[in-house]
This record gives sequence, structure tokens and C-alpha cells, in this order.
Amino acid sequence: MLNTLIQALQLISTWEVVVAMLAASVYGLVIGSLPGLSATMATALLVPVTFYLSPIAAIATIVAASSMAIFSGDIPGALLRIPGTPASAAYADEAYAMTLKGEAELALGAGVWFSAVGGIAGVVSLMALAPPLAEIALSFSTFEYFWLALLGLMCATLVARSSPVKAIAGMFIGLLVSCIGIENPGGVPRFTFGLTDLLGGIEPIPALVGVFAVAQVMRAMLTPEPPPIPRRKFGSIMAGQWTLTKKYHWQMTRGNIIGIIIGVLPGAGADMAAWVSYAMSKRFSKEPEKFGTGHVEGLVEAGASNNASIASGWVPSLLFGIPGDTIAAIAIGVLYMKGLNPGPTLFTEKASSMYAIYLMFIIANILMIPLGIAMIRIAAYVLRAPRSTVMPVIMLCCAVGSFAIGNNMFGVVTVAAFGVIGYVMEANGYPVAAMVLGIVMGTMVEQAFVTSLIKSDGSILPFFERPVAAILAAMAIGALLWPVMVWIWRKVRPAQTASTATAR
Amino acid sequence: MRLPDSVTGSFLVVLGAAAAYGGWRLPPVPGQPVGPNVFPLVIGTGLALCGLAIVFGIGHSFEEEEELIPVEEGQARAEPPGRFYGLRALLPPALLLFYVIAADRLGFIITAALMVLATSTALGAKWKLALPLAALAPIGIHLIFAKLLRVPLPVGLLPMPW
Repeated sequence: MLNTLIQALQLISTWEVVVAMLAASVYGLVIGSLPGLSATMATALLVPVTFYLSPIAAIATIVAASSMAIFSGDIPGALLRIPGTPASAAYADEAYAMTLKGEAELALGAGVWFSAVGGIAGVVSLMALAPPLAEIALSFSTFEYFWLALLGLMCATLVARSSPVKAIAGMFIGLLVSCIGIENPGGVPRFTFGLTDLLGGIEPIPALVGVFAVAQVMRAMLTPEPPPIPRRKFGSIMAGQWTLTKKYHWQMTRGNIIGIIIGVLPGAGADMAAWVSYAMSKRFSKEPEKFGTGHVEGLVEAGASNNASIASGWVPSLLFGIPGDTIAAIAIGVLYMKGLNPGPTLFTEKASSMYAIYLMFIIANILMIPLGIAMIRIAAYVLRAPRSTVMPVIMLCCAVGSFAIGNNMFGVVTVAAFGVIGYVMEANGYPVAAMVLGIVMGTMVEQAFVTSLIKSDGSILPFFERPVAAILAAMAIGALLWPVMVWIWRKVRPAQTASTATAR
Repeated sequence: MRLPDSVTGSFLVVLGAAAAYGGWRLPPVPGQPVGPNVFPLVIGTGLALCGLAIVFGIGHSFEEEEELIPVEEGQARAEPPGRFYGLRALLPPALLLFYVIAADRLGFIITAALMVLATSTALGAKWKLALPLAALAPIGIHLIFAKLLRVPLPVGLLPMPW
């Protein structure tokens, strides 16, 4: 244990890792704070760079950039009422109301402080949960993996805040995309239409870049430019945070726990954690009437929650290769590329690398406090960068980055195609995150499904026979039926209230 | 580009049916009950069913209204969108395809400069901003990717001195 810890420290105390982490932190802060550029996009555009780094440095950049971007999305949320990342959308109104009341420092300070606390709570959960879960995961067969992957996909559709039917359709589209190529049980070219470029299948990373970056540039073409941020002087940012921590320590803990749970659930990520926690905070608050008028309580809980989900989202990624959210989906791609194939054995064979990941998460969250304060102070200047200078650079990064992934122009075509697909889907209310998870997990789902079918000789029964498989199956089917139950409940309830009204 | 649900749903029905049919026609693995054909069959059927449900408006009640920041009336009216205004959204993918076609011949720097110029002008940048950006951004990206990360970017007509 101590030996591995020392090895892990040696792994991360190289110049490459330190520089990579600092650079990625600044990059994540800037991208996250620009409205419309999400944390997922920041991470996706980083992938081509990670090719040229050592494994630990590559993961360091992902860890640092994603944690920072989730926090810095709060900055334009508080100052402009435009969330920088979807994860900040839940409480952007509240934070903006605080700014209007002249409490911008308190709102942003709470963002930094409780993000950092939440992030560290997430790491602690990752350290505590991963090893025992790895023990259990060792006994998993393809049946369990199939249900687990399905559960992840179903969660992704549940949390989509859109029509569940459309979300499931999005997931199917993603799975269909993953069918392309010769990497299937028969090794035959499938849906390649005779094109050599399609034989290798669609790489998830260019698809992600297309869906999250190119589609965003396309949307920018049609939407008006956000207003420039008013220049202002900030007072002390950390003042009063300790009092808040003492006053709202229960809310903070609850936010952390909710964030950890939602992060661990495959498929659900930071934005969902923030929405749930904000709603929960309002529901259980002693003064719910203050919510929406610039009350810090919801900010504390949701801020603590969304950053906690970032680290705990790595639990299913590292153990099963099933992403906790879209950022973890990218991280999985990087892990595979760097020879750290996700799986339960990772914790025994590459224990020092795992400890290095934990340590990097902790360092990133501590770094967040000074860097975050600096970012808030210069935010007025960064946010002044007009869209017409940022978007062209994003375009270049998309083109060069997608080329760099395979040194192949077909990657650029993929990015363009998925830009259009993502744009059309989003415009019509089909959640793209569900499709992305479908693409990332498709091969795994198919492999688990077909292998299980071969083992069971075409029968469905063995899918439910093993105890863990049965539990996972019940959860996955429950997730599938949940929207139906909500729908019935909504239909029945008005009738009930009407009947009680007449009875009186 | 908001299409009616009936259109997108019907498209999904067709796509799903095509995928199921295409999957069904794939050759099975000899001696095995399941092969590469099963998964597309399942996915395609599921997609077609979802498409049908969308056509009939099932699940529509779950959709939340777009949470856009309301633009003031005066701002929204200021720019009457022309007939082809919506097509501007296609500029980014078109530029990426242009990159695929032109980069090998023109080289990275020139192609990238044209892309930057087009994107920033389309987003409303003045010449004073767009021209220097088009000159500097490709060089910066070239420095990072070609020099630092050693990505073989096409040289073309304008090789960089490093």
C-alpha cells in the first residue's frame, strides 16, 4: 500500500505531468468559462494532444481540464446568466440573481470552494468504492456485463430531460453507428457500403468532436452573440466561504453524496447531478421561498454535487469500461490508447497508476482554488473575446485534431458528418449524449449480447439466472419502464384529485 | 431547423427498417446460431418502433420547452432572417469538407487561413479583426500540432520555415 503510494508519487512528480496538468487546468478554465463551449468539448478537443504524452500525463490533462471546466462554467452563469457548461445551467439563474444583488463575489466564491470540496469528496468515494467493487466485478460474466451496459444506456436516456422515446431513439442511432465496420462477431464488413474507410468503423473521438464542437459552431452561426460582460472590480472572493461551509454543512454533504451516486450510475453525469441537487436543496430547505431570488443555499448544494460526480464518474469507467458520463467516455478512449484497459484487474496489476489518478484528482481540486480565483478576476477580459475569434480557432482544432487521431483525412469527414447529425438531432429534441454513449458502448454491448446468446444457445432464460445478473436486469428493465409509470401516474393523478374534490 | 416530429419519426422508421433488413441479409457464422446479423436486427427493430412512437406523439409530454434566454423584442426584430439564413449553419461542415479536398494541394496554412477568414466573417467580424486572425491562427495551430506534437500536416504551397 505505502509502496504503491510512493510509486504513484514518483509517477506524477515528473516535469511532463506537472506542466501538462497546469496547462490543461488553464485550458479547461478558459474553455469552460466561454458560453457554449462545454466541458465535454474541452476534453474532446484535448484528446489529439494526449496521443503525444505519456499515459499518466495524458490522464492528468483529462482530469485537470474536466474538473476545471465544470467549475468555470459557473462564471458566465453568475455574471451573464448564460451557463458556460450544461452542468452549471441548473443554478445559473440563482447565481445571476445574487450578482444583481451585489453578491457576485459570494456566488463565485461558493462556486470555487464547494466545487473543490465536492471534487475531493468524489475522489474519496472513488478510492473507497473502486477496490471492493473490483472484487465483485471479477466474478462478472458476459450476462452481467450486458445488463450493466444496458443499464448505463438506459440511465443516459432517463436523465436526458427530453422525451424518453427520443432519447432511446438517439441511443439506438448510436448503437447503429457502432455496427459499422468489420469488428463484429462474424468479422464481415457490415454497413460499409463498399467504402474502405468505413471498414475500421467510426472512431468515437471524431464523432464526439463533431457532435459537441462542430455542432456548436453551427449553432453559433444562427444565434445572436451573447452580450459582453460588464467590467467590474471584485472584492475578496473567499471571504465568507468558511461561514457558509459551517452554516450549510449538511446541504454540502448531501450535495456531495447525491453527486457521487449520480456519478457512479453509468450514463448519468454532472449536469444531472446539479439539477437533482438543486431541486433537492429547494425541497428540503427551511426557507424555500428564498430560492430564485439570489439565495446561496442551492448553489452550495449543486456546486458540491456536480464536481463530486466528475471523480465518481470514473468508477464505472475504470471498472467496467462503461462511461459514467460523456467526459468519462472520452477518458475511456484515452485509457485504452495508453494501455490501461479498463477492467477490475486494473486495480491489482496497475495499482500505482490508479493511485496516481487519485492523487491527480486531489491535486487538480486543490489547484482549482487559486487558479479559479485568478480566473474569476480575469474573467471580464476572457469573456470579452468575441465569438468571431474563438469559433474559427475551434474549427481549426477540429480539423487538425480529427486528422491527428488517425493521420487520415477520413477523420475530418467523420467530424463534419457528425457535426450535421448532432446539430439536426439537438434542434429536434433528440439528446445527443444518449447517441454518444451508444457509439462508445456499442461494440461492448454487442459483444456481451452475442457471446451471452451463444453461451445460452439462443435462450433468454440464462440472462436472468445468475443473482447479480437478475438484479441488474431488474434495474435496467425498471429504467426502461420508468417513463411509462410516470406517464400513467400523471394521467391518473388529475383524475384522483378531481374525484376527491367532488367527494368533498 | 426544427422539423415536425412526424418527419423525424418517419425517417427513423425507414432507417431502422433498412438497418434491420441490411443486418438480416448478412451471412451468418457457419455452425453458430447467432452471428453479426442479430445485433443490427435488434437495433433496427427498436429504432423503427421508436420512430413509430414518435410519429404518434408518444412521450411528447415529457419534452421541456427550450430554456433559451429570452431576447428582447427589439433585438429579435432587428435582423429579419433572409430566406437562406438557415443555410449559414452548414458553413462549418462545408469548410471541413473543403479542408479535406484542398489541404493536400494548397497546404495547411493557406487552407486554414481561408477557413478562419470564412468562419469569422460569417460570425460578423470586421476585416480589421478577421484578416490578422486568418494570418496568425493557422501559424499558431501549426506550431502546436506540427512542431510540438509532430502531426504530419500537409505542406502544400507555403511551407513553414521550421
